[in-house]
Amino acid sequence: MDGKIKFGMAEAVVLLTMSNMARIFLSFPRALLEMSGPAAWLSSITGMGLAVLQAYLFYHILKPSPGQNIVDIANKSLGNIAGTIFNIIFASFFLAVAALFTRTFSEALIITALPSTPISVLLTGFIMLAVLGSYIGLEAMARSARLTYPFVLSGIALLLLGVSPKWDLQQLFPILGNGPVNVFAMGGLISGAVTEILLAAVIVKSFHGPEMFLKITSRAMLMGFTYLTVLSIVLVITHGWNTAQENTLPFYNLARLIYLGRFFQRTESIFIIIWGFIGMIKVALTLYAAAQTLAGTFRLTDYRPLLWPLALIAYAGSIIPHDMPSALRLESMLIREVAWLPTVALPLVILLVSRIRKRSGPNESG
Amino acid sequence: MKNLIKQVLRVLTYQEPPSREGFILKENYFDKKMADSPGKQPQSQEQGGQDGSAVQGRRRARSLRRAVVGPGNAGDSDTGKVSTILDRNRAAIEKIYGLPVNRDIVIRDYTIGTEPPVKSFLVYIDGMVSRADLNFLMQSLMLEAGEISRDPSASASAVLQRLLPGSQARVLDSFKDIVESVNYGDTAIFIQGSPKALVVETKGWEHRPVEKPRNEQTISGPQESFIENLRANTALLRKIIRSEKLYTEMIGVGKRFRSDVAVMYMVDLADPELVKEVKRRVSSIEVDFITDTGMLEQYIEDSPYSLNPQTHYTERPDRVASYLAEGKVAIILSGSPYALVVPATMYSQLHTGEETYLRWQYGTFLRYTRTFSFYLALLLPGLYLAAVLYHQEMIPTDLLLAIAGNREQVPFPTVVEMLMMEFSFELVREAGLRIPSIIGSTIGIVGALILGQAAVQANLVSPVVVILVAVTGLASFSIPSYSLAFAVRTYRFFYLIMGAVLGFYGITIALFIQIMLTTSLKSFGVPYLSPTGPRTYPGGDVVNRLPIFMQRRRPDYINPQDNIRAPEEPRGWVKSDGEGGGDGRQN
Repeated sequence: MDGKIKFGMAEAVVLLTMSNMARIFLSFPRALLEMSGPAAWLSSITGMGLAVLQAYLFYHILKPSPGQNIVDIANKSLGNIAGTIFNIIFASFFLAVAALFTRTFSEALIITALPSTPISVLLTGFIMLAVLGSYIGLEAMARSARLTYPFVLSGIALLLLGVSPKWDLQQLFPILGNGPVNVFAMGGLISGAVTEILLAAVIVKSFHGPEMFLKITSRAMLMGFTYLTVLSIVLVITHGWNTAQENTLPFYNLARLIYLGRFFQRTESIFIIIWGFIGMIKVALTLYAAAQTLAGTFRLTDYRPLLWPLALIAYAGSIIPHDMPSALRLESMLIREVAWLPTVALPLVILLVSRIRKRSGPNESG
Repeated sequence: MKNLIKQVLRVLTYQEPPSREGFILKENYFDKKMADSPGKQPQSQEQGGQDGSAVQGRRRARSLRRAVVGPGNAGDSDTGKVSTILDRNRAAIEKIYGLPVNRDIVIRDYTIGTEPPVKSFLVYIDGMVSRADLNFLMQSLMLEAGEISRDPSASASAVLQRLLPGSQARVLDSFKDIVESVNYGDTAIFIQGSPKALVVETKGWEHRPVEKPRNEQTISGPQESFIENLRANTALLRKIIRSEKLYTEMIGVGKRFRSDVAVMYMVDLADPELVKEVKRRVSSIEVDFITDTGMLEQYIEDSPYSLNPQTHYTERPDRVASYLAEGKVAIILSGSPYALVVPATMYSQLHTGEETYLRWQYGTFLRYTRTFSFYLALLLPGLYLAAVLYHQEMIPTDLLLAIAGNREQVPFPTVVEMLMMEFSFELVREAGLRIPSIIGSTIGIVGALILGQAAVQANLVSPVVVILVAVTGLASFSIPSYSLAFAVRTYRFFYLIMGAVLGFYGITIALFIQIMLTTSLKSFGVPYLSPTGPRTYPGGDVVNRLPIFMQRRRPDYINPQDNIRAPEEPRGWVKSDGEGGGDGRQN
């Protein structure tokens, strides 16, 4: 079913970029600052390199099997049982990401704008929209992302320039921050673990071939990490790295600083529209990917019947953490530690097994 | 004394009131029959019954068809064809039209002034034909007839060739076709001894002349609009597009009362698949009758449950002509002063011809103003409520104090205040449309008083809300498409409620839903937000209006057969010597 939907490179790049940049509105930049100090931007660049390598890894998996996604290839290479286990891990990862982003975005909304609103209301809003978005389909999500991207871009540019009077470039020093190990190794690993490459490998049938996969994912990572890099720099030169790492939501705190005369100040609420929208795209896309992965695993012709149950699971998962710190701790564990398993380790196994099978194939037949 | 006692008893005792019900539309014979014996077909009924129920109507139509084409016909008894015997033809016509009860139909007996004279009669509907044409026709037949062939099989053709002055005349032998033409203002001539009838075009019903557009007014550009006459409308388009490549295909719509639908397109530009799809949708409609393109629109649109209009509804021939020149397809219905253009995008519905007629800088300025007002009309009340109820910190202190000061005396919550004013505005707008024009000015005074001064003075609403509602109303009027403006008005209430319930988060939810639904919408296979979602070549005329000499290509999303509108440099006079300029075509 997903193979019938095709969209252009620009739409795919923007969709993945917007999904990738969702984390910059939450507490991720703070975690990066904590790890790398004023050199958080260097960690981000290292992470970009790792993400591109990850894209290259997936490209090698997808290249020999045009018209198939990672789910089909896992089934084919590893056999039904192991392939199904791998795919269920992928789907669970997507579902966990959807649940955690739902929770953290909802918590962020409570902190910034709706302090008296019950968390369940906000969670329900996100989950309902995720069901709607993934039900309508990938094409509509990609088009919506492409359509709103200029507004998002100009909003972020406006915000970053709005705090320019408070910039102090001296804050960027020492240039290597907390040391090369923290900056390049640890920081790079933190920022380089992204969901979007795996997600692109699931929706690859909507691209025009595996060659496009590499172009799309590498460009999306380039754009997504550019936002992270620029934000890291602006955070450091505006607040100073020491103060910046104390902010739970650094992006929101930057927005609060905007003061362009008496009439134009405290505009952070307007940015809720931008990051709320990006959060909705992120959750909808990951829910879609989870449903699509499961549908592919169990060879269902339509992923839509899975949306409701998966959304319910995501909702239940999102409500498990007691509070925001618990949610952030879970998120950091998932994104920084566990994420390397489904996004690198398992795909590497798939690649190796498929290569070994390919080599042994002609010998067996011969 | 007896009378007195009777009177007293009448007053004191209960008397059943006399029945005051005069006419009751009772369940008719066929309904009853069908209810009594489900599955059993009702018996036939004599034609000419009085009540008008649907079932009986269907029976009558069947009877009519039998009268026209079925056996027992007064013309040719087996085939429904015209008979050579004049009296039988006359009896058939009388039966078909229900004469003498039906008084609109005129049957005029006369003799064609040939040597020897030939008996004949003609049929037309009073009021549908041009008196002058009819008189001229009869004059030709009765007074100026020369020798014609006495061969009965050829007489209709001979009359057609030698005697008839009408510009359009046909020889028909089927009562069904003849009746259809007569119903549409033609005159049928039956001749003794001829197995065919002549049908002469004498259409001449009353209609208003071509006037200035009433709903899509512009300062510059042509000042003509469509009228209720199909042929006048197609002629208005042909007057602008003088090309043999402009095709007009006629499709009959309406099973009971036929209306003609003209599907117009440039045969060398429009995508044949698009034309085929338009014709397929229009010709597949099975309904008793359609009176306006607004009804037709609802039968052919892709997503009837979406609020967004998916066809372009316009009264301006110049707009339709410009769309035809891009490769779109126009649909015009007889009796409707509006044309539909498909495929429609949201951007095309935010355009007027004016931006093209004005210089590009002014046109672009107009577009930006309209875009801004589109967002105002959609979001302003919702954003205000969100800011006032949830995000007060973003309102500058002075303004916040002013708003709070004005609201101090108002007893209602802000959301009630806003809803009340929005509803009042909608009321004024609706009443302004329906009110008789002679007292139309009253509505302006009443509306201004209610919405403005009186409501504020009575402390029912705060002045800020009045201003916001007025600005929103003005902004919604600047959307040129009436249907799209309607959609925006409706959407606005969703934003208003979402803003009041969840602040900017609510607005974001509503935006997400609307964007998702709109991006998945299509009009005749074309994405509704083309050329921005998905991104295709825009043609320099979407939000920005580039200089007219830069608009060298037709919009890509329509998939025209030839996407080059003009060469690289359409202004021949700026080319230097030796420069060909080329035609801009790409391989």
